[in-house]
Amino acid sequence: MPVRPTASISRRRFTGAVAGVSVGAALAPFHIRAAAKSPAKRKRVALVTTIVRKFSHGQHFVDRLLEGYGWHGEHHTSPLELVSLYVEQFPETDTSRERSKRHGVRLCPTIAEALTLGTSRLAVDGVLIIGEHGDYPRDAKGQPLYPRFRFFKDVVKTFERTNQSVPVFQDKHFAMDWREAQETYRDAQRLGFPLMAGSSLPVTWRIPMIEVPLGTPLVESVGVGYGHHGYYDIHTIETAQCMSERRAGGEVGVKSVQAFKNDAVWRLLGERESTRRLCLTALNRSQTLAPLPGRTFAEPSIEHLKRVSPFAVAYVFEHLDGFRTTIFHFNGTGTAFSRDTAALNDFTYAGLTQRGDVLSTLMFLPMPPTLTTLASFFSPLVNHIEQMVLTGQPSWPSERNYLTTGMTLFAVDSLYADGAKLDTPDLRIRYQPTPGPHFWAG
Amino acid sequence: MKPLRQIAFVLEDFALQTPAQQLFDRFLLGHRRAGAFHKPDGLRVTVTRAGDLQSPSAASDLLRARAREAGLQLADLPAAVREADALVIVPRTDSPAPAAAHVTAALTHAKRGAACFVFGAPATNLAAARTLTTLAAARQITLASGTTLPVTWRLPQVDLPANAPADEALIVVQGTSPLAELHALDGLLPVLARRAGGELGVRRVKFLAGADLWRAADRREWSWGLLSAALSRSDSPQGDTLLDGRTQDLVGLGLVPKLASNPRGWLLEHTDGVRTALLALDGVVADFNFAVQLSDGNSVSAQLFCAPVPAQEHYSRLAAVIEDFFRTGTPPWPASRSQLTAGLLDACRQTAAQPGVWLWTAELSIR
Repeated sequence: MPVRPTASISRRRFTGAVAGVSVGAALAPFHIRAAAKSPAKRKRVALVTTIVRKFSHGQHFVDRLLEGYGWHGEHHTSPLELVSLYVEQFPETDTSRERSKRHGVRLCPTIAEALTLGTSRLAVDGVLIIGEHGDYPRDAKGQPLYPRFRFFKDVVKTFERTNQSVPVFQDKHFAMDWREAQETYRDAQRLGFPLMAGSSLPVTWRIPMIEVPLGTPLVESVGVGYGHHGYYDIHTIETAQCMSERRAGGEVGVKSVQAFKNDAVWRLLGERESTRRLCLTALNRSQTLAPLPGRTFAEPSIEHLKRVSPFAVAYVFEHLDGFRTTIFHFNGTGTAFSRDTAALNDFTYAGLTQRGDVLSTLMFLPMPPTLTTLASFFSPLVNHIEQMVLTGQPSWPSERNYLTTGMTLFAVDSLYADGAKLDTPDLRIRYQPTPGPHFWAG
Repeated sequence: MKPLRQIAFVLEDFALQTPAQQLFDRFLLGHRRAGAFHKPDGLRVTVTRAGDLQSPSAASDLLRARAREAGLQLADLPAAVREADALVIVPRTDSPAPAAAHVTAALTHAKRGAACFVFGAPATNLAAARTLTTLAAARQITLASGTTLPVTWRLPQVDLPANAPADEALIVVQGTSPLAELHALDGLLPVLARRAGGELGVRRVKFLAGADLWRAADRREWSWGLLSAALSRSDSPQGDTLLDGRTQDLVGLGLVPKLASNPRGWLLEHTDGVRTALLALDGVVADFNFAVQLSDGNSVSAQLFCAPVPAQEHYSRLAAVIEDFFRTGTPPWPASRSQLTAGLLDACRQTAAQPGVWLWTAELSIR
């Protein structure tokens, strides 16, 4: 099957889609127009987070719900009403109190109160759990111990106590521990509430805007990114998985994970021709690969990578159907990860089909403060959350997030076991993708 | 396909992250194209320094070092262009067009049948642009010009439906004149050219600044609604977003007049009645965004994406378009658009001296 952009993302179709956005209200005075957009009755949500300060994930979600965001050619007012907040940490730079006061959002001392508004019943139509950022310890493997699971369990306890449940969004991966992740998934199954999670990478802009047609006979995926393990692994893994799952047969699960570091990464690239080809193709979609001094850009090559990124990590995932995913992080010249010294600052993908075609793209994050002032890639994620709360249907199956959580956690385990290959019977997670596309296209 | 054995660069400037460097290096070293790193096969590159670059300077030293590293001779202009199949002329970074003398010299000394791409506008007024076009035609040289804006990625990747009737358009840019006007024109005219009937030219132009610009919107001379659509595509709102990262409805909350520093705008009335607003709004956002109101009530809007420094990969897009032009001999867009841009740069300059007064531009009925 030839690999090409799907019809749904052709220029013609994009034009048609966007042309559906009306600014007919442009003839009204702008202040009246803005007021007229507010729906009379909105679904109510609670947001549970670690911290809300400039550029924390909590801030990105809170502000999009409260202040709106640019979407499909207009300033979009969320159809969700953020009625309550539970915030665990309040640094001097906290913005949750100001937002709470200005927008009349109830700032609650407990998660239970945020969900019930002090009543004996569930008082919201959806819950967002944003367990990212804040002052938390790391585990022995260097992973931040964000309290996502603790937050989730408090939400579940409230569901059980009230005998009610609503859709839940969990930012990034489910938990920092596999048993906690399993319990998260099983609780959602047991209580029957919609659960959606994940990174913004699957939903952000793609340059070029391509989607893997459902049923494509992919045989291998490569995701290339950067970042400290335990923090950014999930981003690169979901960059690849949101494409890989669309292969013929859908996702069938992962049977083993193996991490590689530094010299072992170069050996891996030397030995596996198809993986090397995909890695270099992905890097040809990167817009940030570090150049040599006196240059502004670089031709991707293994030699160049060795020069600009002596510190590199790779994770190889063998899927049960013989499919292979390899994730590369080229973290540059610093012994400790720093965005300033990373060899690149973006996330790219390349996939190989059975007949040898390659498709590739950049999952573009307009990242503040270096590129932008807004982290606009949270806008499509918030939009998917809105749709889930409004319809009760997650945009993608929670099994994707269950699998990527496991891929992340077992990859870090392998890294800290000096690259031991780990069998992963728990990751026999089968699912079919939803049609999509889910990325930002309009 | 035409043979492309030698390409000559005529550069008025050379520093890292300038258009001259980004384009020159992409033909010298290669560039990203369709998921691969493309190196033009067997292409000989020559280069000459023009204008200030002929005097000792850091820019001159950098170009000399680059040439030495690549084994190139820095030739004088006639020698550099004489055997070239194609020419790229890049103006000073702060100029919208190269000096007419440099383009004239390049066209005069280039061989017949060559192709020539000028980065920016061919000239800053219509008469000069027509003179260059006439010279190029006399020497059978195909001439094209433009910046990266017509070819960069759009977020989202939208275009006007072909032959869609349009009523009104708007683009937001930043920066000093006349580069701001060049960016506005080169960003918006290619989008608008797809409307029903194509581009028929511009019959009058008016400049407005400060509070007069907002009053004109209140009088419906341009559209707050279209501005809102364009700004909804921005990733770089200023004001409170800088303070605490918040999203903002810049138009709906009435923030634009408060944030704008030295706001300037040019209102264009096209021959077919379409109205265009070119808005230079420093302090509101820091990226280029456009919106077009279609006659059926729908709109099209996008950000014209400027890729991260230092690579600025939108120059790879332009390099690919230039190379295709050189190999096929077919210019990437009509030369008339470049002439219209040159004429409008002049009209923008003239009207800025008389704010609020329409300048009738019969000579810009350029299809």
